[in-house]
Amino acid sequence: MTTTAIRGAVARAEHVTKTYGEGQALVRALVDVTIEIPDAHLTAIMGPSGSGKSTFLHCMAALDSVSEGRVLIGGTDLATLSDRELTVLRREHIGFVFQSFNLLPAMTAYENIVLPYELGGRKPDRAWVDEVIRTVGLGDRLTHLPSELSGGQQQRVALARALATRPEIVFADEPTGNLDSRAGAEILGFLRGAVDSFGQTVAMVTHDPVAASYADSVIFLGDGRIVDRMEDPDPQLVLDRMKQFGG
Amino acid sequence: MLHMSLRSAWYRRRRLAGIAVAVALGVAFLAGTLVLGDTLQANFDNLFRQVSAGTSVVVRNSTGISTDRSIDKARGLVDEQLVATVSHVDGVAAAEGQIVGYGSLDGRNGKAIGGNGPPRQAGNWINDRSLNPYHLVEGRAPQAPDEVVINKSAADTGDLHVGDTTTLQTPQPVRVHITGIATFGGAGGVGTSTFAAFTLAGAQQNVTRQPGKVDSIVVRAEPGVSDTTLRDRIRAVLPHGVQAITGSQYTQERIDSVSSTFLDLLRTFLVAFAVIALLVAMISINNTFGITVAQRTRELALLRSIGASRRQIRSSVVTEAILVGTLGGVVGVVGGLGVAGLLKGMFDAFGFALPAGGLTVHTSAVVAAFGVGLLATLIAVQLPARRASGVTPMEALRSAGEQRQIGRGRRLTALALVASGLALGFVAATTATVALAAAAGLLLVVGALVAAPIAFRPVARAASALARPFGRLSLSMAGQNARRNPRRSASTAGALLVGVALVSLFTLLTASLRATLDNEVRSGLTADLVVSNPSFGGGRLSPDLADDALRIPGVRTAVALGGGPLELNGTRSIVSAVDTSRLTSVMSLTTVSGSMSSLGRDGIAVSKGEAQTRGWHPGSRVDLTFPGGASVPTTVRAVYDNAQLLQDTVVPQQLYDSHAVQPTADAVFVRTNTGTTTAVQRALEPIAQRNGATVQTAPQFADSAASGLETLLGIVYVMLGLAVLIALLGIANTLSLAVYERRRELGLLRAVGQTRRQARSVLRDESVIISLFGTVVGIALGMFAGWVLFTALSDGGVFSAPWAQLTVIAVIGGVAGVVASIGPARRAARVPVLEAIGTE
Repeated sequence: MTTTAIRGAVARAEHVTKTYGEGQALVRALVDVTIEIPDAHLTAIMGPSGSGKSTFLHCMAALDSVSEGRVLIGGTDLATLSDRELTVLRREHIGFVFQSFNLLPAMTAYENIVLPYELGGRKPDRAWVDEVIRTVGLGDRLTHLPSELSGGQQQRVALARALATRPEIVFADEPTGNLDSRAGAEILGFLRGAVDSFGQTVAMVTHDPVAASYADSVIFLGDGRIVDRMEDPDPQLVLDRMKQFGG
Repeated sequence: MLHMSLRSAWYRRRRLAGIAVAVALGVAFLAGTLVLGDTLQANFDNLFRQVSAGTSVVVRNSTGISTDRSIDKARGLVDEQLVATVSHVDGVAAAEGQIVGYGSLDGRNGKAIGGNGPPRQAGNWINDRSLNPYHLVEGRAPQAPDEVVINKSAADTGDLHVGDTTTLQTPQPVRVHITGIATFGGAGGVGTSTFAAFTLAGAQQNVTRQPGKVDSIVVRAEPGVSDTTLRDRIRAVLPHGVQAITGSQYTQERIDSVSSTFLDLLRTFLVAFAVIALLVAMISINNTFGITVAQRTRELALLRSIGASRRQIRSSVVTEAILVGTLGGVVGVVGGLGVAGLLKGMFDAFGFALPAGGLTVHTSAVVAAFGVGLLATLIAVQLPARRASGVTPMEALRSAGEQRQIGRGRRLTALALVASGLALGFVAATTATVALAAAAGLLLVVGALVAAPIAFRPVARAASALARPFGRLSLSMAGQNARRNPRRSASTAGALLVGVALVSLFTLLTASLRATLDNEVRSGLTADLVVSNPSFGGGRLSPDLADDALRIPGVRTAVALGGGPLELNGTRSIVSAVDTSRLTSVMSLTTVSGSMSSLGRDGIAVSKGEAQTRGWHPGSRVDLTFPGGASVPTTVRAVYDNAQLLQDTVVPQQLYDSHAVQPTADAVFVRTNTGTTTAVQRALEPIAQRNGATVQTAPQFADSAASGLETLLGIVYVMLGLAVLIALLGIANTLSLAVYERRRELGLLRAVGQTRRQARSVLRDESVIISLFGTVVGIALGMFAGWVLFTALSDGGVFSAPWAQLTVIAVIGGVAGVVASIGPARRAARVPVLEAIGTE
């Protein structure tokens, strides 16, 4: 895998600081973090627990607000958006894959996949949706309820949903955290595939060096700050870097 | 989006079904009461139309005074000679004098036919077939003055046949021979009422006892002559004080009268309870939806994070409410027809006979009940829907089960509400302001609902603590479970709290009213025996009964108490008529001024309250107008302290009887010589029986005087029962949701050795804690409100707390908790161990 030059940033965090609580109980989850998520890249964000990696993802993904600094997606400052505009942004320009509970239990796999279209009152782009479904290999499972699917299949449905609207960026929060290594590898393979064949931009939080090795670059967070970066990671290198955190 | 809401609702259909049932019950009750009201209205309309279907014009005395005994105004009589005058008017095909009065038929067994309630009438047989709504089916019309035709259902119930002889209490007992049996519009009679028809002369002799007079004249027009034309022609020949109206006017008058005196009251009464049931249902719906929203937080947050707007989330909850409300409404409206039948049966069972007939279902009643149910559901769901739309996308990432703490705002609000409610209550009680009492009650109910979650935690902790020394693990665990989400547990108890508070309030008010009545009757009565007809609809007594009683050895005094409606200076009033010279020997009356025994022929006495409101004092001139139109000038000669047994005005019997039509007595009070009471009672009994009355000792009479209240309380209990049922359903619903939520935990407990039985016990104990909490707080609230209301309403009444009844209510509350837990407990015990642990 060759390092491609950064063509442009889909999402950018500028001097982002996120604090919780006040006075004595003040917790700094993120301190002056500046990151660019490059286009058509799979960027992994790593760090030990408490490093602020999940908080960072939530702030980038417009799920949470920042205390200082700003977050831009596609050139738009999230702070300037109303709740309505944020909703539309999440629906049309962002895709999500969470660690668990990604699907609505009452709806079939297919209905879950086209849900963002339904919420927006739009007709699904059938050709594209079909291609995504083919890519993640769900063809024969579309009419099943989530409870009738395995964990790996459920995550594939979630991934298909995230990709279905051709979002500018997909945020994945420990997408393999609940899966066995084989199913995990499948999901990571699909993510990688989405970047390579569709030019999809993906930002993924993980604590798994193997997962991180699928990325084009890895950003290491520690105590709310960026502590390192790594291009073209391989599992051993990432693991070694992670070990340094343990001290 | 709609499609999504529907799918989601269908997926959780079992959890939503409970809410729909609460809506259905409330709507069923409301629909039932509305349909019952319409049905009764239609039946009465139909009845009155039938009665005067063939009548073109009615001629009657123009002075009518409304009475509380009948839907028709009390009227004077008109001269029988007018019948001939009217007959000669051009266009009159037939005109007949009519008499309708009181007459109770004895059956073969010597007892009054029909028992309590239904009207018992006696009058004359109208010979013109069109003018007479009754038609002979057996025998012949009466010819001699002691012959009667009776209606078929009376004959059937009383086992009477043509040729039989029986007694008619008019209320003087009259021996009558039955010569015929008649039906009314194809039915055996008017509802369960009885009717006996003499000849006109017989009716004058036995019913009104005024020869040469009739109640009214009914006229049939010749073909081609309109009712209004005939009415105008007849008017021209009538003397002053006599009026003519068309048959349809007459019918409309009676329809309006039954609406305003009876149906409107009944409707208001029933709808009030339906509204209570719906309010309780709303508390329950609000709570249940709140729980389902809380349980779906992650789902809602997920929706938000993939692009659902707040409005979409909100409308998905509202859509669910519309679905549930619609379903509940449809089921409720259908069930309402059954409820209407049940209500009718209930009123029959309690002794208020209502006219029979099929149900009348107006679209308006259906739409109203359905609409109100849907609206109630929508209002109840507003808070949960707002909470749902406030779920942030971030909550999709948090672990479930985080709960909100009880805020300071709630504590302060609760404190302010309860404190101001209590303070207002004391002010209301001391200043006797009913409006303040109502406001205090409302503040306390709202305060209790707000404060309940705060109070619940220590209560549940106490239950746990209580369980430990007795080794009741289930109770201890139940206490912990209930405490886990005190807000939810408390609002679950809230619906029951409101229901029980109302039950306690009515129980307390009834007990206190009863104690007051009892006390006043006892202390106001110096008579030893009382002859009265204990029935509701008021079987009446002959005023001669007092004279008969006086002839019994050992009787010192016997005084008949009667009366009726009069106009006092133009204002309608019900007065008591009594022999005032002897009154003080059977009643202890405190006279504020003047003397009861020296009213003279033209003096009246008024109560202190009446004197105050009317500004009367001894010497005031008061004109009495009798139903016959006679006006008599009188003077107030005495003012007495308010007395339970007397109306607010007392008119000397002689004066009253000389102007009243068919004067009767309600009760005869007898004072005996020392030691002869038992003997007198025995001698009095057959005389009383001839009048269909019973003899009671003074304490017995005091008791039975208040027994009508118990009947009313019985009806109120049944009405409130539904609200309590809805509340219990709410508890069962919440527990089911809790079971669903605690599946993993229940599975884990079973995995480490909890038996199914123990799993059930924990849930049952939790249910009992919740329902007892609601019951006990409800009783406390109801008692305080009852005390405030009673103290504000009655001046100097006897407050009585019916501890035994309140204890029963508390026990029922606990038992109800056990019943409510049956379903959820069974489900909890059935949770499969492995699957439960495996569920995410």
